[in-house]
Amino acid sequence: MKKSLLLSALAVCMIGFAGCTPKGSDSGSTSNSSGGSELVGRETPDAEGNKVEGDTIKIGLIASLNGEQQPWGKDSENGAKLAVEEINAAGGINGKKIELIIEDTGSKAEGGKSATEKLVGEDKVVAVLGEVASGITLPAAQVCQENAVPLIAVGATRIDVTQQGGSTFRVCYTDDFQGAAMAKYAYEDLKLKKMAVLTDRKLPYSTGLSEVFVKAFKSLGGEIVAEENYESGNIDFKAQLANIKAKNPDGLFCSGYFTEVGPIARQRQSLGLNVPMLGGDGWDSKDLLDSGGEGIVGGYFANHYHISEDRQEVKDFVDNYKKKFGTDAGTAMAALTYDAAKVCFEALKNDPELTSKSLISAISKIKDFKGVSGNITIGPDGNAQKPALVLKVEKTGFVPVKQIPFFEFKG
Amino acid sequence: MNWDLLPQQLVIGIQLGAVYALIALGYTMVYGVLRFINFAHGDVYMVGAYLAYYTSMQWFDRNSMNPYVLLFVMLIISMVGCAILGLSVERLAYRPLRTAPKIAVLITAIGVSLFIEYGGKFFFKTSPKPSISQDVNVFSKPINIGGITLDGSQLTVLGVTLVLMAGLWFFVTHTKTGRAMRAVSHDFGAASLMGINVNRVVAITFGIGSALAGAGGMMNATAIGTPLDPFYGLVPGVKAFVAAVLGGIGNIPGAVVGGLIMGVMETLIVWLGYGGYKDAVAFVLLIVILLIKPSGLFGSTVEKV
Repeated sequence: MKKSLLLSALAVCMIGFAGCTPKGSDSGSTSNSSGGSELVGRETPDAEGNKVEGDTIKIGLIASLNGEQQPWGKDSENGAKLAVEEINAAGGINGKKIELIIEDTGSKAEGGKSATEKLVGEDKVVAVLGEVASGITLPAAQVCQENAVPLIAVGATRIDVTQQGGSTFRVCYTDDFQGAAMAKYAYEDLKLKKMAVLTDRKLPYSTGLSEVFVKAFKSLGGEIVAEENYESGNIDFKAQLANIKAKNPDGLFCSGYFTEVGPIARQRQSLGLNVPMLGGDGWDSKDLLDSGGEGIVGGYFANHYHISEDRQEVKDFVDNYKKKFGTDAGTAMAALTYDAAKVCFEALKNDPELTSKSLISAISKIKDFKGVSGNITIGPDGNAQKPALVLKVEKTGFVPVKQIPFFEFKG
Repeated sequence: MNWDLLPQQLVIGIQLGAVYALIALGYTMVYGVLRFINFAHGDVYMVGAYLAYYTSMQWFDRNSMNPYVLLFVMLIISMVGCAILGLSVERLAYRPLRTAPKIAVLITAIGVSLFIEYGGKFFFKTSPKPSISQDVNVFSKPINIGGITLDGSQLTVLGVTLVLMAGLWFFVTHTKTGRAMRAVSHDFGAASLMGINVNRVVAITFGIGSALAGAGGMMNATAIGTPLDPFYGLVPGVKAFVAAVLGGIGNIPGAVVGGLIMGVMETLIVWLGYGGYKDAVAFVLLIVILLIKPSGLFGSTVEKV
């Protein structure tokens, strides 16, 4: 009785807490692009945390099993299941089996919060994996920080995700690196000197990524000749593209999601703006090929890995995934979740105490872990310092063209 | 401001406005005969786009079929499908409320709109969002005329829109049913006393308006390749509604002019460098028109909209 009272009081506190945070985190996403030289928001959590009891180690996964991001949620679920199956088949961790508990976020930020609360409060997991979307990860990270349970984010690239507290980590790169990497690729490899930038003003991911790209491209000596905006949900971009065409750029950087990039590519072509298009990991969907048509062919975007990579980890993962689920490992989210789970296991192996609090420091010590999506080293800021893989869009799919090693960009 | 770019932007605006005009016609025609705003009209447009998607990507084999025939079949299926949808909505949702207060019909319209959207969510599934492949569109090559670059498919959209509008104009002014429609629009009660089958006229109005929206949905989805979702018709629906109000709701040429003005205004705001505010144009325009000239550009009587 007492316990449930305490829990509900805690829940009320957290509702109040979550209610006032989005504002701060929103401004952080667009203004903070300093590259992580100073550690923002990495406080050590105060709570006592959960601990492993009995012979099973409980780990939670939050994923969008319903709603618009369902394909990413499904990939995420599969990746985690595969990792857990493999570790248990190999005898578990120090004799203890892993139990995976999956909670649906319904593609909603509130869902991310309640799913995490359930995992942390009721199921007493020692670690939470996920989410794919930054917006859903943010409230989940706050819950984890409050309860001193580590969260390993999967595809959340927004910079402020790991600034929610010292218990949040991620296995993907951040938008700070992604934007700078694409600027470098555009300037040094594609030899583009004058770029135009097209931003989705409604999407914090897009505004942040564009901002970094512009800064990085200018610092390399390039020129930004046009900066145009649209809002996700728009369907006609020809007016913006006509403005851009008049400035004669060498290339076009589109930082939005594939839902708009596809039509932009098609309309760019219909206006005769024949320059290469570049973008970030928001392009990662086969749907881009249909909606972009010939216009998107020849475009480049930064992603986390590619299934055709010639590394043993990738080959094993792709084979095992196909064996278990009968399909190709879809988006990068399957591999990233698999890696997040593997990183968690690795930390558990090095953690004799087996409490969620000791696990936090064990995860922060992960170095040179060979993941499917690349080598993972968790930095003091909680971020993985990983290379980006530039993919080229061909008629039938995405082909890797260049790996860009991690570097720190200070804008 | 780049003045050299103005002709290009005006052409883009007119192309954009043509589709708004096509949807606005449905709003204005229904308002003309029944004096209420059919808020489900934008969703009919969405269904038109989906029908075009299923026709080209699933029901027919696009690789073995003549692409021009396929486009024509898509247009016909979208128009007929939407006409049937419009007729059923009118028969099932609006006709039983013919004598009910206007507010009840208006609320029903919102209900129908939500019904179609969430029904779409159930039937079409939301993820991943599909879009019509570019190889369906045989008109997608750019054409350069005197420094203005045009897309063949946009020219086609413009052409088809003009043909449909001319057909509508002929129908309304030169046929018996068209005359009946104008009579009903003029005075519902008197028309019915004069022996006009009012229910039939209303049904035909819904059918034609919905078919035009379906054509708009099919053409826009095919020409620009936007991924479809069940809420696809929401924003174009609102914009077309504003276009209809701008032109004077209930007035057919007004809807066309309103749609074109809307398209051009949206393009010019981008030309001025405020691309992110494109959607705001519609709402600012609505407020301004309601303050300055509530009857719209061509409306004769002041109506509460």
